[in-house]
Amino acid sequence: MQTNFTAEQLADPHVAESEAILRRCVHCGFCTATCPTYVTLGNELDSPRGRIYLIKDMLENGRAADAQVVKHLDRCLSCLACTTTCPSGVDYMHLIDNARAHVENTYRRPLMDRLIRNVLAFVLPYPSRFRAALKLARIGKPFGPMLAGFAPLKPFAAMLTLAPVTLPQPLPQQSQPLAVAKRGRVAILTGCAQPVLDPRINEATERLLTRLGVEIARPKGEGCCGALVHHMGREEQALNFARRNVDVWTREIEERGLDAIIITASGCGTTIKDYGHMLRLDPSYAEKARRISALAKDITEYLATLDLPPLESRGLTVAYHSACSMQHGQKITLQPKALLRNAGFAVRDPAEGHLCCGSAGTYNILQPEISAQLKARKVKNIEATKANIIATGNIGCMTQIASGTAMPIVHTVELLDWAYGGPKPDKLS
Amino acid sequence: MSLLLVPTREEEAADMIRAAAEAKRSLAISGGNTRSGFGQQVEAQGVLRSAGLSGIVAYDPAEMVLTARAGTPVSEIEEALAENGQMLAFEPMDHRAVMGTVGEPTIGGIFATNTSGPRRFVAGAARDSLLGVRYINGRGEVLRAGGRVMKNVTGLDLVKLLAGSFGTLGFLTEVTFRVLPRPQDQRTIILSGLDDGEAARAMAIAMSLSVEVSGAAHLPESVRGRFLNGNLSDGPATVLRLEGLAASVAVRAQKLVATLQSLAPISQLEAEESRVLWQEIRDVKPYADGTMKPLWRVSVAPTSGFQLVAALRLQAGIDCFYDWQGGLLWMRMESEPEGELVRHVMHQTGGGHATLVRASDDMRATENAFEPLPAAVLALQARVKQQLDPAGIFNPGKMARS
Amino acid sequence: MSDVISFLPPREKVLARRSTIIADLADLLPADCLVHEPRELVPFETDAFVAYRRLPLAVVLPHNTAQVAAVLKYCHRYGVPVVPRGAGTSLCGGAIPQEDAVVIGLSKMSRILEVDFANRTATVQAGVTNLSISDTVGPEGYFYAPDPSSQLACTIGGNIAMNSGGAHCLKYGVTTNNLLGVKMVLMDGTVIDLGGKHLDSAGYDLLGLVCGSEGQLGIVTEATVRLIAKPEGARPVLFGFTSSEEAGACVADVIGAGIIPVAIEFMDKPAIEICEAFAKAGYPLDVEALLIVEVEGSEAEMEAMLSSIVEIARRHGVKTVRESQSATEAALIWKGRKSAFGATGRIADYICMDGTVPLSKLSYVLKRTSEIVEGFGLRVANVFHAGDGNMHPLILFNANDPVEAAKAEAAGNEILKLCVDAGGCLTGEHGVGIEKRDLMLHQYTRAELDQQIRVREAFDSQWLLNPSKVFPLDGRPQTAGAV
Repeated sequence: MQTNFTAEQLADPHVAESEAILRRCVHCGFCTATCPTYVTLGNELDSPRGRIYLIKDMLENGRAADAQVVKHLDRCLSCLACTTTCPSGVDYMHLIDNARAHVENTYRRPLMDRLIRNVLAFVLPYPSRFRAALKLARIGKPFGPMLAGFAPLKPFAAMLTLAPVTLPQPLPQQSQPLAVAKRGRVAILTGCAQPVLDPRINEATERLLTRLGVEIARPKGEGCCGALVHHMGREEQALNFARRNVDVWTREIEERGLDAIIITASGCGTTIKDYGHMLRLDPSYAEKARRISALAKDITEYLATLDLPPLESRGLTVAYHSACSMQHGQKITLQPKALLRNAGFAVRDPAEGHLCCGSAGTYNILQPEISAQLKARKVKNIEATKANIIATGNIGCMTQIASGTAMPIVHTVELLDWAYGGPKPDKLS
Repeated sequence: MSLLLVPTREEEAADMIRAAAEAKRSLAISGGNTRSGFGQQVEAQGVLRSAGLSGIVAYDPAEMVLTARAGTPVSEIEEALAENGQMLAFEPMDHRAVMGTVGEPTIGGIFATNTSGPRRFVAGAARDSLLGVRYINGRGEVLRAGGRVMKNVTGLDLVKLLAGSFGTLGFLTEVTFRVLPRPQDQRTIILSGLDDGEAARAMAIAMSLSVEVSGAAHLPESVRGRFLNGNLSDGPATVLRLEGLAASVAVRAQKLVATLQSLAPISQLEAEESRVLWQEIRDVKPYADGTMKPLWRVSVAPTSGFQLVAALRLQAGIDCFYDWQGGLLWMRMESEPEGELVRHVMHQTGGGHATLVRASDDMRATENAFEPLPAAVLALQARVKQQLDPAGIFNPGKMARS
Repeated sequence: MSDVISFLPPREKVLARRSTIIADLADLLPADCLVHEPRELVPFETDAFVAYRRLPLAVVLPHNTAQVAAVLKYCHRYGVPVVPRGAGTSLCGGAIPQEDAVVIGLSKMSRILEVDFANRTATVQAGVTNLSISDTVGPEGYFYAPDPSSQLACTIGGNIAMNSGGAHCLKYGVTTNNLLGVKMVLMDGTVIDLGGKHLDSAGYDLLGLVCGSEGQLGIVTEATVRLIAKPEGARPVLFGFTSSEEAGACVADVIGAGIIPVAIEFMDKPAIEICEAFAKAGYPLDVEALLIVEVEGSEAEMEAMLSSIVEIARRHGVKTVRESQSATEAALIWKGRKSAFGATGRIADYICMDGTVPLSKLSYVLKRTSEIVEGFGLRVANVFHAGDGNMHPLILFNANDPVEAAKAEAAGNEILKLCVDAGGCLTGEHGVGIEKRDLMLHQYTRAELDQQIRVREAFDSQWLLNPSKVFPLDGRPQTAGAV
């Protein structure tokens, strides 16, 4: 597509990058068809092509973001279905990242919007604050419907709805000795929200890997990957999270070596795999970040390299929900299902598997209406499979979908851990 | 006695039309005049026939496209096609026997009346095969529409508009159409003893299979004996045609029989008899009875056909059979019920359109031969006609009773 | 791009009433159905013919036929032009608006209203995507046959406007052959139904006229289409040739032998490389031309047909023959082909031609096409429906270089004229739009065009419907803003 930037504009590396991305787009419109917001709202402005055009217009004219543009950029889930669909290879992910940073730098949001975003950025990436907030939310839950009646407060209402009534407590960690010969050494991202909402996931991961002969490193100091704030356009905060994690893992690599950095939340995986790109302009981090990104692996990606033995059928049918960050962000589509089948589960693909469930980080809080429509659509498709269990690889999707169905939903690795000798996941009993 | 004009050159025809337009002299348009009983009776001051514009202009079998002057006899076209192992996919009906006319049907007449046969429901109508035409509009201008390639969306598709316009919009002088390879083999699967409703269901099942049925008709007991010289097996016959390579026909027949055998006793016709049967269905043999008893041709959704007939039977004496998976009804009326009744019942059972193909002159004078149209569509049609034939000289009154 | 193609000058009276018109539209429609803020109008300024752009006056996104009728009635009353828009995937600028026009987008009308398997029909709103019909009926063993390459995104309404074809229309025909009925709104707001679940219709074939009329006659809001039972099996086979001429001759011989595969697609070397890079479908990279031939039916039928085709291909020195071994592989082969245009965006900007030529002229036209494009110092990739002679030369250029852009457009025009002169036509399935509008007199005489214009006027005497498209601005009647 033709673009119109001056040499001066292109001197800014972010603009230059955006221009190169825009040039690839041929405006064919394929992306509209698989975009959850376009499918839901039927408006070009809420499609990737429309947003690409809005971004192009804003950047070409060197304009500050305004309410009209921000409305439509905010509606983007960053599910990246468009990048799977795009035949021209438009790197929408980095374009919308740049645009969000531009919005954050040039646009002053209305008070309530600022407030909620500040709260989210202050709370979510920090497990202790998040845990405390959830306790408060339990008290506030009955007020949810009241808040929902007043537009600017809808996000608060959504938060209260999503907050689980009870939180599972972490089990005491036992460092088990390796049962078999050592096959590798990995770090597992602890992250931020997941250990609070569902500590069982990483517990299962540790148990399974340990049984398979993989040593678990526990480097101190890692935390939120930065994705949550990155998607809000808070670039500096995101980069700081990234730098901290890069430092922690680099130290571990240099001291004791790591074969992989295992991620059990695909949303985080997408971001960590992008550290190399995010920090490319920081000379002191560029190289290190690239190395971290190269080592980052989704748990299913890593398990697929371990040649797990095939197991007898368990007589259970699993509807596999592929998280957007898994299928579109990381293009991991086959491994999780292959692992489940190999472990004796019958696997079904829900219809419209490419569509987001509406979770998308903080999207279900910031865009509760669209999110709710997507959730309903997703749940309907999943329930139509008549499977016994839903499996997925992202905590965000688990929380979102669980709030809309009675079907049990677990992380893929929990099923694998169970199949290969671990305990049956709580949610299935 | 009206003036008979039979031009032998396109320009000559254009001159005649120009002159007629200037003099506001109306013209009845025809080809071989074998379908002139179609539509409302035309009162015209002259007759313009295309029969003098005859002959195949271009035919390259490798391109599956044939161009012929409008007055070329259909028999000449079919002969040329047969020599090259090809055919008209839409299987045009020959109206002579049923309408009691004589003469040579022309290829232009086929397209002007959009005449198709049993294969229409899967292979398209005459209009679907028509790629391009040369025609003369009501101002006497020689014009082209469409072309000679299969895919062409350049400008408005006046080809479709002219096809089936019964000579009321323009005088066709040349037609270019797509042809298809003639299937090597065919056979017909017959299910015996099904009533109309059961037959509709059986045909729907057959069409849901991947066996490419190319003909699906139901011949109730009252007409069964009038096909194949009475040699069809006893009881109502639901007939399904398969065409293609011999080996493939055999395989598909097996599959079709396997699926349908629980519904009714099944027999089969081999190629030769099958060919005859479908030609008889195409030409509505049971009602080629030398009478002028009203004959209705009703097109409805396939599953509505038998319901319409059942509802109509409560009020009128009819004899009928079904083509197009049950969606095309050929109904011969024993008395003369008004079209209003037929159409009322048809709209109650899901809609469609009913055409009075044959009737006595008296009935034709008082009955709408074609389905009456809603006012908005009728107005649109009148405006379209005005734009092609501003003086209103072509077949006045043919399409609608004024 | 240098604006070689002009639009009608905006109607000053309409522009002057802009704010009133927007206020009135806001009264007619729910809030989520109206777009009028200047920033928000920008993404509607073009479609997939991205070289030309015009901002609309406003965009409306109605939910139902009644709303479409209300807007049209209003625009008719006040003489406001309207431009219909489906998914905006037109390659000829069919959905590009103009400054004085209200865009009527059908994207919110995306419901499948009824699927009737016994009668093999689906009734859908105009904004339903082509592919979603097949996706919906697929589990029951049916499909909707026309399959334009943009079928993932393009809408049925747009397909009807352009009479869209696709790879598989060699056997199943194009949109007009698969369309049974429409609900449509005339310019004055009148709603009419044409056709239905039955075949053919009473009176003139207005349905056939409307199909392919590029939004010049009215706005289709619902359609009833024909469904077909899926074949038992289907298998694409790749045939690699050492020259385009051999591949072209092979196509003509296959058809000439009375074999009609469901699809015969052609790609030349640049196209093969582009598509393989995206789809990784296993296209051979060591050949000059590739045919994708799809056969369908039972295993025995496919085998029989394939062996005849292989024999013909051998006579033309075929270098590689590769059958797809699985459904996944077959899907990849088609994904590569159907993404060809978009995938070209990875290496350059392009304009895509759409002329059709008689099969016997295929090799000649291919050769001349290369000569023409090279004569302008540009590159061309060819990927098209060979079985029906519908060519799609993609002229590659740099859109940020105005000189190259002008050359590309000039080369495109020459290619289209070549197609007409070879006995073919300007456009096989993409439509005229604005792109080929000014070439219409190369294919039609003035009198022929005037006749089309008069028929058009029977539907819209004020020339409010998509008025800058299809018919050259020169020589139009006064009412059409003659230039």
